[in-house]
Amino acid sequence: MAETEKRHHLVVRITHWVNALALAIMVASGLRIFNAYPAFARKGETFCCYPFAGDMIPNWLTFGGWLAGARNWHFATMWLLVVNALVYLGFIYLHGEWRDLVPRRGQVRGVWEMVRFYVGRGKTHPHQGKHNALQRLAYFSLPIVGAASVISGLAIWKPVQLAPLTWALGGFVWARYWHFLAMLGLVALTFGHVFMVFAVDPYSMRAIITGRYNPARSPERRNARPFVHLRGPRVEPSAAPAPAPPSPPPSDQPPPSKPPEGTP
Amino acid sequence: MSGLWLPRHAAERAGLDRRRFLAAGAGTLAVAALGCGSEGPKSAEGLLRAGERLNERVERALFRHNAMNHAPRRAVNTGLRFPSYFVSPRVPVWNEAARGVWRLEIGGLVRRPARLTLGELTELPRTELRLEHFCVEGWSAVAVRTGVLLHELARRADVSPDARYVDFASFDDDYHESWDIESALHPQTMIVYGQDGRMLDPAYGAPARVYSPVKLGYKNTKYLTRITFLAERNGGYWSDVGYEWYGGV
Repeated sequence: MAETEKRHHLVVRITHWVNALALAIMVASGLRIFNAYPAFARKGETFCCYPFAGDMIPNWLTFGGWLAGARNWHFATMWLLVVNALVYLGFIYLHGEWRDLVPRRGQVRGVWEMVRFYVGRGKTHPHQGKHNALQRLAYFSLPIVGAASVISGLAIWKPVQLAPLTWALGGFVWARYWHFLAMLGLVALTFGHVFMVFAVDPYSMRAIITGRYNPARSPERRNARPFVHLRGPRVEPSAAPAPAPPSPPPSDQPPPSKPPEGTP
Repeated sequence: MSGLWLPRHAAERAGLDRRRFLAAGAGTLAVAALGCGSEGPKSAEGLLRAGERLNERVERALFRHNAMNHAPRRAVNTGLRFPSYFVSPRVPVWNEAARGVWRLEIGGLVRRPARLTLGELTELPRTELRLEHFCVEGWSAVAVRTGVLLHELARRADVSPDARYVDFASFDDDYHESWDIESALHPQTMIVYGQDGRMLDPAYGAPARVYSPVKLGYKNTKYLTRITFLAERNGGYWSDVGYEWYGGV
């Protein structure tokens, strides 16, 4: 274990997985609620900005079984989502992890360099700290989009008791639309996140479960972009590429006994 | 396997991992799909009920008598495109020959019970409000509602201070819904007999219905026959099968 370092605090790991569960329930039950009226227009009116009005979300993407069931799940899980988010945000504020997430000077250039590298326009992985610039952008956006979904959700939950809020979002119909868009934003961030975990840094899976991470296997050290150098540097690109092993290794984790390969 | 969309050397080196990636992705989706489309585990029902109780406390704390519903000025009156709905197989129509003249009964924990005909109801102080309606399904619609404020009826009936709930019963099969008394006495809650300037159509709950813009549509009993002031809540047609009892907006 000497080669690993502590990466995620227990609180971060627990809130991460609670959030994953709560978000999945919120999105799937929300889609079931949406299916009761899969459109945005006030009755008798038209709505400018949703071309799929009337199209149901496929049942297998939904949760809750029926409208009342989905509503009960949605309105119970919202507390889990919000309380968990407050625990997480409070913790990273007090414990200092927020410093790894807030945008820094040069954030825009950093994002640009990461994108260039990922599409194959750069030879070496840009230098990074705990997270690269794209990750910082995503992890910083997530609570903001989450807050947008909570606020727009409150506005459509209580359009009369919280009428000023609903009014500020453009009325019930628009608040419902913002709520839908915020959900799409959260889903997009989640898919991007999960894709990058598997395609660039599967070793981070260990870090978010046990908390430990092997820095020798960081994407920067492996010079990894999606599906490239997943297993770490073995031979230099100038040499002949090593043939792929004939059968997949038995586990997702690299064997810990494996000696660290040449450091870049 | 090589060269699908990655440079050849990269694909060769990554082919194996990509296969594992796809397998892992498919596995994750399959696990997720197992839970989807379902109502969720039965063991969660207690948690969901606890959630509903917590929500009711929050909703009642949020409730304000001076929080008003105003339909947006630029919103179009929905008119006859307003969805109509009832639980009987056909539009419920009061059968005067069989049941006598329709009367709205006001009873329960009141000192002066009443049985009002539609004519008597329309002679009481009249209120007309243009309101945005919120359905549990997620749609909204705008209509002008004409009727008598329920707190006016409650004042005339001299409701006992013990009354904490109100039940609204109908002749649409056994449809009824009970409410907290605060919502029933909200200054926009009324017994409606007119919609968009005309007497209520049978499709919309004639002769009279309860209407409050602080409740979701399903709490607003149509085809009203009886208003009962109660010390305890009395469930409701939709509340009893799983919809939220409070149903406030």
